[in-house]
Amino acid sequence: MKFVRIIPKYNHLWAVKSPDEEADELTLLFRKWNNAEYLLDFFMENFDDLKSFFKIERLDQAVEDTLEDAEALEEMVLDFPYTENLDELFKPLDITDTRMSELTREKARNWDRDTHASWLRIYAIRLEPNVYVVTGGAIKLSRTMQEREHTALELEKLNLCKAFLKANGVFDQDSFVELTNEE
Amino acid sequence: MASKAIKFLEAHQSKTPSRFAEEATWRKENASWLRWSRQLAVTLIGYMQDNGMKRADLASKLGVTPQYVSKLLSGTENLSFKSIANIEEKLGISCLAICKG
Repeated sequence: MKFVRIIPKYNHLWAVKSPDEEADELTLLFRKWNNAEYLLDFFMENFDDLKSFFKIERLDQAVEDTLEDAEALEEMVLDFPYTENLDELFKPLDITDTRMSELTREKARNWDRDTHASWLRIYAIRLEPNVYVVTGGAIKLSRTMQEREHTALELEKLNLCKAFLKANGVFDQDSFVELTNEE
Repeated sequence: MASKAIKFLEAHQSKTPSRFAEEATWRKENASWLRWSRQLAVTLIGYMQDNGMKRADLASKLGVTPQYVSKLLSGTENLSFKSIANIEEKLGISCLAICKG
């Protein structure tokens, strides 16, 4: 597994780069989310979820909302790595991912979106305070990640990355002790 | 000093650098005209849904290739006024909001 630094010279944000892909996970994600044709295909395939979970029946609205949301999220991702505040952008994926434990699975989204909740998710592993590796992302229209194929795949990518980092001893025991003492 | 985690990531760095920042910056710098292109794409998507059309149907109605329809639907094409007027005329719709001073 290979990684790329998102902003040259800044250590906070990284992404997985698969050998089979032309670009890293974060770059690929925003290319898709900025392409209305890709979004049209996605919402046509997931039209039932769009209707049942978000009560939206217009494809043009779904695409327009996504483009706007992607623009806002992209701006956040572009600005945050220059700061020490990435821990504010990402939140633990679920209750099992408490930041007291090692290599937690995290998600970022536009938390302040109007009209309806944002369905865009960026997934990452938190290596230590303010240091993240993006493993992918998804348009999440269902309640859980497990119930749809495309989100289940993202969950698998998160788990694979975590397992790889763990197997290679990335978890920094000293950082963990420091965090534990803060409580 | 770099932490153990940073050192590990650096040691496992891909030779292909990320293009995210470059591409996101480009989109930010070109946001004003990209919005027009996206508005056109969204209008066409609404038109297709309202009329039960697929890409091929739209291509046929516009008298263009499916590849060109793909470009229109991407919302990233920098189109000329002539091209937009042609789309509006063929479909009988108004694609872009009227500019107001």
